[in-house]
Amino acid sequence: MTGAEVRGAAGDATPVTMALQGIRKSYGETRALRGVTLEIRGGEILGIAGPNGAGKSTLMRVLAGEDERDEGEILVDGAAWRTGDPRDRVAVVHQEPQLWPNLTVAQNMVVGREPGGWSFPGLPGDDREVLSGLGILDYAHRPLAECPLAVRQRVEIARALAGDGRFFLFDEPNSALTEDESDRLFAAMHELAGRGKVVLLVTHRLGEMVTHCTRVAVIRDGVVAAELTGAALTEQGIARELVLGYQAVDAGDRARSGSGEALGDEHRPARGHDGPVASLRGWTAAGGAFRAIDLDLARGEIVALVGVEGSGARQLAASTAGFGEATGTLVVADTEAGTGGGGRTVYLPADRRGMLFANLSVGSNLVMRLGVPEIATPGGFLALGRLRRLSDELVHRFRVRTRSAAAPLPSLSGGNQQKVAIAAAIARRPSLLVLEEPTRGVDVGSKAEIYRILRDYARLGHGVLVYCTEVPEVHELADRVIVVDRGRPVLDLRVTDHPDLTALADTIASVEHTAVPGRSNHDPAPAAAAG
Amino acid sequence: MTQSPGTQTAEPSAARISFGLTSLRTYGLVIAIIAIALFFYLQNPAFASFQNLSQLLRSMASLGMIAFAQLLVIISGELDLSVGSVYGLTAVALAVIWLGEGNSPIQLPFILALIVALAVPLAAGAINAFFTTIVRIPSFIATLGMLSIAQGAELLLSNASNFNPQYNVPPPPQGEIDLFRALGYTRLPFDIPVQVLWLLVFFGIFWVIRHRTLFGFRLLAIGGNTDAARVTRLPVTRYKFVVFMLCAFMAGLAGILDFSFVGSVGPNSGGALTFPVFAAVVIGGASLSGGRGTVFGTLMGAVLLAVLRNGLAIMGVGAFAQLIFVGVVTIGAVTLDVLAQRAAGRRA
Repeated sequence: MTGAEVRGAAGDATPVTMALQGIRKSYGETRALRGVTLEIRGGEILGIAGPNGAGKSTLMRVLAGEDERDEGEILVDGAAWRTGDPRDRVAVVHQEPQLWPNLTVAQNMVVGREPGGWSFPGLPGDDREVLSGLGILDYAHRPLAECPLAVRQRVEIARALAGDGRFFLFDEPNSALTEDESDRLFAAMHELAGRGKVVLLVTHRLGEMVTHCTRVAVIRDGVVAAELTGAALTEQGIARELVLGYQAVDAGDRARSGSGEALGDEHRPARGHDGPVASLRGWTAAGGAFRAIDLDLARGEIVALVGVEGSGARQLAASTAGFGEATGTLVVADTEAGTGGGGRTVYLPADRRGMLFANLSVGSNLVMRLGVPEIATPGGFLALGRLRRLSDELVHRFRVRTRSAAAPLPSLSGGNQQKVAIAAAIARRPSLLVLEEPTRGVDVGSKAEIYRILRDYARLGHGVLVYCTEVPEVHELADRVIVVDRGRPVLDLRVTDHPDLTALADTIASVEHTAVPGRSNHDPAPAAAAG
Repeated sequence: MTQSPGTQTAEPSAARISFGLTSLRTYGLVIAIIAIALFFYLQNPAFASFQNLSQLLRSMASLGMIAFAQLLVIISGELDLSVGSVYGLTAVALAVIWLGEGNSPIQLPFILALIVALAVPLAAGAINAFFTTIVRIPSFIATLGMLSIAQGAELLLSNASNFNPQYNVPPPPQGEIDLFRALGYTRLPFDIPVQVLWLLVFFGIFWVIRHRTLFGFRLLAIGGNTDAARVTRLPVTRYKFVVFMLCAFMAGLAGILDFSFVGSVGPNSGGALTFPVFAAVVIGGASLSGGRGTVFGTLMGAVLLAVLRNGLAIMGVGAFAQLIFVGVVTIGAVTLDVLAQRAAGRRA
């Protein structure tokens, strides 16, 4: 730890406590929180872990006052406490700070609590002290947009401190920071705890939780399923809790030899060669997110890439489809694909909004990747009959639950929209299908269907490359998993050799590193590449 | 289960793709036009005379032609503010190149001059597209700059003077003048102005482009979600080049047709077009954020503006007050649309 200045440690000594009692929250039919009860003591750093969809982000939104809870009490020092009060709120430090990039650091400090009067606000003396305590006073008069990410995050902390904030929530705060910057951020976190503040940390990096947290609460199915402290607080311990009690959504289906009946016979590829469907040699990202990757994807194989944000795994997946610059050789279906992946790859980013068209109908979305001759004549005129039959057929074949193909896309549930995106991709019949987190924010039923669709498609002799963040997804979907750390593969194993989910979680957790290589801020969603 | 191809009737894909609010809105617009026309007719039956109605259609021809093309630009998520000055520049370019007047470096026979003049808007559109898609500055800025550039070029070329081919010294061959006037001044059978035919032909062409081609289909996606369009590998850049060039071309062509109709051209002839072109597209139901809009709606938007202008003029309302009416109607139409959408959103 670098020497964090403990300002006024003697002054505000009494630690604050926050008690959550039976917090419930539903979104329509979905019960996101089913009674969260948790005590948070000032002075400790409390880690919050949980698989996607377990209610972790809902809990954070409720605490930050962004969402109203349906039921339950929040007590602070024994008295009822209201969320969302701007003067006494939970300050959230995001991985990308939610501030005003057009204003200077000093101006960012006073927005919302400007001193009275009509004059353009300056920097009050108290704020100056807070900034200097966090070591960012030198940046006071620079526009926030010009400051490094680490400084921007500390401005968020400073804003909360200047407002006498008592509660701090760090949400994946260091996923884009260098090792050195993360160290300083954690030092600041420990300093806040030392002053008796409530400090919450949410991160996917289990190693950091173990190092820095006094206690870790694991959220599963909308409740606090476990609290780990002391000797029980280990990476393996958390990893096991994350997958414990996990119900396979599509049990016993792995072995089933996918006949591809859902996809129709015309999808059957030409048999006869057994070479890999895609192979990478010396594949290196232009920005350095990953280096010298050699990888072969067999026909019919589903490979999962796993790695924390900043490991390069996500960028690696996207680059194989031509999204994100990389050098080296990429061969897809026996043809050198260059960096574009040619027409043989299809890429689906993690964010649904990044691949679907809300202004169009379900049917239009399903056929949007097609062209001549599937939905248009060689002259470029739409073949309306064919277009309609094809979209009806895709709705039927992929069991998209919609009243008709003509229904607007936003009328569908998230899971069904996800199915539309995947169906549209498969309709293009790519040799290599690349997906990021294919079931993020999707209900259990749709999850099972999506896994089945992807497996069936792979079994027809195509390659599927998936970037995953959840071990159960790897376990259920992939034939092979590759863990990426600091831009290099550190583990490559057959999932079928690890029938036990817990054992697989252990193995993956043991190689996933905690720190990030020194690198610049990289856009995690390389959506806007390739024209 | 599936219908046999033979029994399929030509159900318009527009209705299938954007059924509901959009088409309801267009019906509402048609009803509003009928009501307003009825009002003018009751005020003065001369409004409904054949002569007045064909004059009304003629007066909106160039506006409508440009609006159809502007609609495609707006659907793609961009806008082109330079149509008015490109309209004027193209007409002046034709005049000075053909007549060898102004600051024209060359003098060409009419047909060649026409071809050269029509290359001018294509170049302007390509420049608009280049800065919007390759350099990636907002089309608002790129085309705002082009507005000024085209205006300046027009004044430089013409020395701010008027050109009238018929009274030019020396006059061009009579055959060329006849051909020139035929473009926009001829009367068809039943005394219908030829510009009405141009309007209907381009309505048909743009309707097909928008509703019946792969181009129109993908343009909706590009304007609806550009990021997704890139992930889907739609040809975003190429399509935007096409719509910008098409839009500028239509503006230039309209400028030439109006020049032919009037018989002379002077500086800044297109300045007043920018507003009504956008008004027609927006009244017609297109969304300025892209991905939504129909050619029929745009035509109805243009008709509404033309009916208002014409009817108010017949009632003796001056041109200045007409401007106020047109502005109020534009804001009113879009306000109604937004309120209706909000209500529909609450019901859903």
